[in-house]
Amino acid sequence: MTLLLQAVADGLQMGLLYALVAVGLTIIWGLMEMINFAHGEFMMLGMFGAWGLSVLLGWDPLITMVPVAVIMYGAGVLVYRLLMQRVQRGEVFTQIFATVGLFFFIQNGAVAVFTSDYRFVGKSLLTGLSGTNLTLGGVRVGVPLLVGGLIALAIFLALYLLIDRTDFGLALQATSEDRDAAMLVGIRPQRMYAVAWGLGTALVAVAGVILANFFAVYPQAGLSFTVMAYAIVALGGFGSILGTLLAALLVGVVQSVTAAYLPPAFKDAFVFGSYILIGLFRPQGLFGRF
Amino acid sequence: MAALAALLYPIPFEQSGYIYYETVGFLVLLNAMLGIGWNIIGGWAGQFDFGPNIFFATGAYTAALLSIHFGWNAWAGLLGAVVVSVAICAAVTYPITRLRGHYFAIATVAMWMIAQPIGATWELINGSRGLFIPVAPGKNLVHGMLTMEFPGRGKGLGFYYLALFLFVLTLLGARAVERSKWGFYFRAVHDDQDGAEGIGIDSRLYKVIARCLMAAVFAAGGVLYGFWALAVFPDQVLEVNWNILPMMAAVVGGLGRLWGPVLGAIILIPISQLMTATLGAGPLAGRGIDLIIYGAVIMLIAGGRPNGLLSLPWARWAGRLVGRAPAGPAKG
Amino acid sequence: MRILRLIVAVAILSFIAVQLTPAPRAAGPVSEVLIGELLPLTGNFASLGQQYLWAGQTVEDIVNNDYPDLNVPLGPGKGFPGLGGAKMTLVVRDDQSRGDQARTLAEQLITVNKVHWLNGEGTSGNTSIIQPLVESYGIPMACHACASPTLTEKGFKWFWRTGPNDGTMVASVFQFLKEWPAHGGPSDLKTIALFTCDNLFCQDNRKIAASLSEKMGLKIVADLTTKTGATTLASEVQRLQAAKPDILFNVQYPAETTVFQADAKRAGFTPKVIATSNGAYSDQTWLNAQKATNGAAGWLGRDPTAIDLASKKASWKKVNDIYKKYSHGQDMGELAMREITGLLWMADTINRAKSVEPAALAKAADETSMKPDVMIIDYKGIKFDAHHQNELATGVVTQVGWDDDKHTIWPWDLAAQSGFKPIFPLPSWQERESHKK
Repeated sequence: MTLLLQAVADGLQMGLLYALVAVGLTIIWGLMEMINFAHGEFMMLGMFGAWGLSVLLGWDPLITMVPVAVIMYGAGVLVYRLLMQRVQRGEVFTQIFATVGLFFFIQNGAVAVFTSDYRFVGKSLLTGLSGTNLTLGGVRVGVPLLVGGLIALAIFLALYLLIDRTDFGLALQATSEDRDAAMLVGIRPQRMYAVAWGLGTALVAVAGVILANFFAVYPQAGLSFTVMAYAIVALGGFGSILGTLLAALLVGVVQSVTAAYLPPAFKDAFVFGSYILIGLFRPQGLFGRF
Repeated sequence: MAALAALLYPIPFEQSGYIYYETVGFLVLLNAMLGIGWNIIGGWAGQFDFGPNIFFATGAYTAALLSIHFGWNAWAGLLGAVVVSVAICAAVTYPITRLRGHYFAIATVAMWMIAQPIGATWELINGSRGLFIPVAPGKNLVHGMLTMEFPGRGKGLGFYYLALFLFVLTLLGARAVERSKWGFYFRAVHDDQDGAEGIGIDSRLYKVIARCLMAAVFAAGGVLYGFWALAVFPDQVLEVNWNILPMMAAVVGGLGRLWGPVLGAIILIPISQLMTATLGAGPLAGRGIDLIIYGAVIMLIAGGRPNGLLSLPWARWAGRLVGRAPAGPAKG
Repeated sequence: MRILRLIVAVAILSFIAVQLTPAPRAAGPVSEVLIGELLPLTGNFASLGQQYLWAGQTVEDIVNNDYPDLNVPLGPGKGFPGLGGAKMTLVVRDDQSRGDQARTLAEQLITVNKVHWLNGEGTSGNTSIIQPLVESYGIPMACHACASPTLTEKGFKWFWRTGPNDGTMVASVFQFLKEWPAHGGPSDLKTIALFTCDNLFCQDNRKIAASLSEKMGLKIVADLTTKTGATTLASEVQRLQAAKPDILFNVQYPAETTVFQADAKRAGFTPKVIATSNGAYSDQTWLNAQKATNGAAGWLGRDPTAIDLASKKASWKKVNDIYKKYSHGQDMGELAMREITGLLWMADTINRAKSVEPAALAKAADETSMKPDVMIIDYKGIKFDAHHQNELATGVVTQVGWDDDKHTIWPWDLAAQSGFKPIFPLPSWQERESHKK
């Protein structure tokens, strides 16, 4: 029984980290419906940002979150204005195509600048805490991951409030639902999209900064997290921030419990299988609005 | 005229010994064929399918298994591969046709993700250690066309013509579908699914049919690949580029146009090969410069012509080039 | 439609016109020996591919420049003396870790660039894809650091390998475990758990380890295959812990090993022995990162060479200095050492053949009998068996000590030379923390 409880606890912890990676995608794709193949690459840039600043200036990744967020926000807006804005005029598939180009560009740019070596953030608050556990009712909870998870929760809450409770957030939602109607009430869609891209990129880069505490940093690092992120956003349902959070937790638990009892190589497959299963009964995801 | 050019294309390379270019031609034809297949579901039926490579894999593995364990001829294997892949496609696609748009897209990705550990751990197909099709000495070109076994240096030429044959078959088949009732139904589902349902078109059924036509094409492509590489590894046949390239070829050329993927393949593949040989080599090697430029080129094309390159006013340009007024907007 | 046909035809015709002039293969003496290097420089295996590239550049440097005191083949003197001083030129291609690219670019290197020797691909899977092609064109090919036994079992006449394969390398680990009790080691190691990633390299190791475990009478209490690229291994670690293995045979890449270490630390999982094979254990960056935490202390694994002894050789030091010019200061890891050794053998073979004709090269290769004193690695020599596998390529077993360097612990004569007492049992995580310098 403790095996199961521990697996669930581990799964929830990982789920919060996945949620952190998925939250940026929720804005760009879940809300604004723009497919971003290069989502993982922005995360990877965030990881390198954390590593770089840690090595050059000795900054702890928790501090690095701020400058990385600001810079990557600008990068996201730039990507929208220079590329995605033009691409919106054409076929939807061209968006994917454009972001595939972005994917090659960014990943190999990182290879060119950093080489494909593995890098590790050596000293930081969270790595210093590694190995410290809280034991609640016979279940071990690692402190560093817990801290990471709490940060993820805080970000989610902030985002939820932003999207659902502020005028700005409502304007974003309005633009995604009906661009023309939004224009009629004085919202500028281009500005909304640009901000969405900026926010989404900044958020996933911040996720990368946090993850750099726990994982190896290298140019190909984006992939393993981001496939999960897509599944999570779709599972949670498009347009729902809380849906993404809950889906992420579900995914973490399914993955963890599968690995505890079935061949571990299939743990991701079960997550995706669950997506299909749930999709059969709820075609718009858990809480999707459209 | 293009047909003649395509048929004669490998000859000068055979003469001069530059067999590599024949293989580039092979890759162009293979990806163009896959692109045409993908266009059926992506371009005509308008469904986001991001996981066609699972059928590439089922095709390659089926033919490989039939060849290794039962000694089947490659074409018999191809037939078997297509049958198996279409069957699998029908079985797995029908349930997910409930999903729309991006949800459907993720479902196709989900299938791909499920296929990966199956490929890596299933003992029947030797898991990650891969299946090896025995190297057969091959005899001559004609014998090779019948068995997909070519002698030594004849491989480049032989596989080019094999690919050309399958490509033409696919093109003709796709054209026939485009002009048939099915083509009409696919487009109806794309344009207005609810409206189509309203006039009695079973959108779920036609999505399945469209996808299975694509599955057949991808299965055939997978068989061709398997006999070309003589090795089927799960991470190679389920590799992301077998998804991306056909899709990009279709989008670059112009989504939904029959010849779109062909133009896209002709452009994308030689460019990437050229860049690999020049920018990816020499002192800049190992820095991925060629891929950086490749990514930039893709972004430029996407940003510059969001509706694909076939939407460019070719007729006007060619007309100006040749110095006479065009006969009207370019058809196709 | 007509317009499209016109464009396609024009493109093809101009392409053909450019290519129509064949370049005759130069008969007689060559001034440049072309060595094809087909490597995964981007994509999943890029961290391996770049080491192969640096190794190639190092050997190109050694051959083409005069290093009078360097005791390796073609160290002193410029170029190939046997070919009148011809220089060696690398022709590098990146296949993005993809099999179809590998096969296509191999054909390019052979038919267009007309390389005299093909080196690649660096990973066993893609190498096996290009073997039939190279065989049909009949030029020599090698992948020295590719460890899958199947590469030399299919009887390809044009493929050579100077490095050991996984069969011998994993066997050396188990041989050590078997002989350890007689040399002061524990005699109560009864159970083993296998923990491997799901790709070709890991699975090869797993199969070999499984059969050797059975032969040795070790009970396999857990056999878990994990997904390459896993983001968490917490549940897997739980299962391993529950199985209580004496020995953990762990084959993972650096990224997954890092995850494993963090999860094992959290769970307090410490088997008595962690044995590994390549993967993270061979990666310089991972090894360096362990210095801060002693994370690898006590891990033992196979190495193709006694790196602590080899690095004392003057020639090793000199070659390492040259290597560091290309590797941004990274030391030679065991992968680079195997590759450099193999490439120097290749240069020596070309020199002995006094020709770049394939038949002459093959003959010179088969006749190889290289002595260990001119190598930077401590194989017993280079001599090929009927399958073109170097039968004198041995493996050793090393262990990472508290100084975070690898020390030879088997075979026993070399272990005596290195003078290192194996750490047993594996230190717990608290011990690692408190042992900080």
